[in-house]
Amino acid sequence: MGDHGPGFEPDLDEGSIVARAQDGDLAAFEHLVLTYQYRLFRLAYRMLNDRGEAEDIVQETLTTSWRGLPMLADVDAFGGWIYRLATNKCLDLLRKRSSHAENIIDLEDMDTIAEAGCRAVSAALDPAQEAEWSAEQDGLTALLNALPPAQRACWLLREMHGRSYAEIGVTLKITPAAVRGTLARARHQIAEGMSQWR
Amino acid sequence: MALEDIPRLGCGRSIDRIWGTIDRPPTAHEEQCDQCQTARTRLRRLSKATRSLRESDLHNPTMEPRPGIKNAIMDVVRAKVRRGSRILLRSADNGTTEISEQALSSLIRSAAAAIPGVHSRRCRIEIRSAAASVADEDHPTGTTGTSTNAGPRLIINLRVAAAPGIVIPRTVEALRHEISNAIPASVGIGAGTVNITVEDLYDV
Repeated sequence: MGDHGPGFEPDLDEGSIVARAQDGDLAAFEHLVLTYQYRLFRLAYRMLNDRGEAEDIVQETLTTSWRGLPMLADVDAFGGWIYRLATNKCLDLLRKRSSHAENIIDLEDMDTIAEAGCRAVSAALDPAQEAEWSAEQDGLTALLNALPPAQRACWLLREMHGRSYAEIGVTLKITPAAVRGTLARARHQIAEGMSQWR
Repeated sequence: MALEDIPRLGCGRSIDRIWGTIDRPPTAHEEQCDQCQTARTRLRRLSKATRSLRESDLHNPTMEPRPGIKNAIMDVVRAKVRRGSRILLRSADNGTTEISEQALSSLIRSAAAAIPGVHSRRCRIEIRSAAASVADEDHPTGTTGTSTNAGPRLIINLRVAAAPGIVIPRTVEALRHEISNAIPASVGIGAGTVNITVEDLYDV
């Protein structure tokens, strides 16, 4: 038995894994890192459009969470808490960035990701559909990047990550009703924008 | 930000309401209203694009962090690992044996894994030290020889999640039994008191 203690049962519920990590169980925490690193990266990348910065957010969020874990009162709140940490780190970074310059988008990164995304989905599509789909996706991400950061976070958390209005509200320090309004405005703006692309 | 901020069409319908019903057939009003029809078409297109972006991001290998990131995180974490207090197992002239609360918790959890229908969660271990359990006498710890019976008395507080539908008293008794056997077998001291709290039911 090493540092990790015995490996845990494969069908453990997330609440129990979080509880063990709270007690300092490294194997349990590693499992949480494996589960959340991908989700947090997707969120951070879509917020920041920069791979390196998105990776930094993932790393900072998860190492911070290790320190804060013992204080977490409700084990079932782990997911919401970790999304909140990551979202706010992204918003802080964007605030810092905008005090320097306008949104910097790493175009090379964007291209690679759009292309690979196409390949990932194109297996089932014919070339015409593929081209149409790719244009649609480019359009959507460009419009997304034009939204104010808090609105973009709201849209991503709801539409890409399925988080609840209540949780998004806590993250963005607004009421669930205001989350609803923000989402409606974001959808309206993106839908309007998409209608210009033809 | 107030609810009134939700964008509305010229006909008074809110974007939110249309979004919520785009998968349903149009209402009588929507069939008549050009603005509603345009909005429905646009939002439906957005809904489709949203779904395909979500799917492609999920399966797109470039939307993953570099592979080394987990290890980088675990390296930082390992350096700050919490082991809790240390428990004196045995004290003799030739040296002492201690175990960390963390290691003892691992033992308890691994014993608990043998009982189906419970997932162990947090574990707190209180120790009544060897000196205190031998009572008032004023002999210093470490001079009481090699007897394992004079070791510390443990109070184990284990919280668990249970599978819905199990018989809790019977399962918890089996769990207590398992822990009470595992501790002396591994570390040579009695398990003392084993308090078990079922704090949650997990989904199966």
